[in-house]
Amino acid sequence: MRRRHRRAHTVIWSGLAIALPLLLAIIFASAPKLPADAPAIRLDAKVTEGAQP
Amino acid sequence: MSVSYKPVIWNRTKMIYDGVLLAGIVIYILTFLKAGPLLSPALRDIDLPTQRMRAFGSLALLMLTIVLAIGPLARIDTRFIPLLYNRRHFGVMTAIVAATHAYYVLGWYFSYSPTPQLTALFTSNTSFTSIAGFPFELFGVFALVVLAVLAATSHDFWLSFLTPPLWKAIHMSVYFAYAAIILHVALGALLDRRDLALGLLLVGGLALLCTLHLIAGHRETAADATASAKAPEEPWIVVGDLSEIAEGRAIIGASPGGERIAVFRSKGSLSAVSNVCSHQNGPIGEGKVVAGFITCPWHGYQYRLEDGCSPPPFRERIRKYRVQLRGSSVLVDPEPVPLGTKLEPFPIPAELLAASASVSKQGGA
Repeated sequence: MRRRHRRAHTVIWSGLAIALPLLLAIIFASAPKLPADAPAIRLDAKVTEGAQP
Repeated sequence: MSVSYKPVIWNRTKMIYDGVLLAGIVIYILTFLKAGPLLSPALRDIDLPTQRMRAFGSLALLMLTIVLAIGPLARIDTRFIPLLYNRRHFGVMTAIVAATHAYYVLGWYFSYSPTPQLTALFTSNTSFTSIAGFPFELFGVFALVVLAVLAATSHDFWLSFLTPPLWKAIHMSVYFAYAAIILHVALGALLDRRDLALGLLLVGGLALLCTLHLIAGHRETAADATASAKAPEEPWIVVGDLSEIAEGRAIIGASPGGERIAVFRSKGSLSAVSNVCSHQNGPIGEGKVVAGFITCPWHGYQYRLEDGCSPPPFRERIRKYRVQLRGSSVLVDPEPVPLGTKLEPFPIPAELLAASASVSKQGGA
């Protein structure tokens, strides 16, 4: 590989190694969570065996 | 090589490589569809089209992770070099698998849409201001377009037409496609269902790739920083000692500008050439002399020792450098001679030949 190409590789992967984990953390932190007092049976959840929708 | 256009120049190695690849794809898909529901609760009670979608989607992520790991693995350990040989077919297969995933997604979610499927794809989710609800489909579309362009331009015709530096620069966009796929999977499948196996593949693959690429890059940077020592006679540089070069192999030095030079030893003579193969910038100095030709370890491109030209009818050329010996030190003039200039290999004096042969024997004993 040429020197310029090698440098570009290093810059890109350094950027990805910082940006992607950070973005993943932000994505999972911003995922909507159920409130503590949410009902056990929900319309948006899969119906379990024996339960009534 | 580059004489005429052929869709694929098949040989036994490529057939074996592609055969193994295809077998791997079939085994993965069948295992996912047949054994997946037995192994994972996440795959039970879901319909076949959704299973197919997930099978091809996860396979595309796995294949892209592997294909991106091959380069740094080959730089770190030469035993991985055979995987590089047909890496382009691996990339094309990855694009096909990703396109199959997209085909199933369009067919399942947008078949009954009142608008055309692609219109529906781009307009069904417009939550651009939300992080978790961001239209993850767009990242998938971007990655698929990049993979398709790279697959379409993967042939040697485009490599020759665009020239290796431009072709390599275009093909580096695969890293941005990978980043887009990470976001596509995280915002889509992983937020939708907490799938442990997919999460491990995503996070583990990302950690592995970042580590491998940064280790390989660090090694290359360290090698760049250690330019070969200057000889007392300007502008020659000392690349190493004759005893370090095995028959048919090379040692690699670096010019003050940082470009690497490989000095090959073959049949009692030395030849210095650029360490950069004109095909895909492969490290020629890690190859060997085969049937009298310098042979690149990546794809087997060959060059004559005396002028750095590929044998007719091929037209590839690499730069040659003047080389000489001071005692047993190998000296190279870091200024290359014009491309195609004939420069006879430098003969190793008989006494040095005998001495280095005995050193090699002792070293090999």
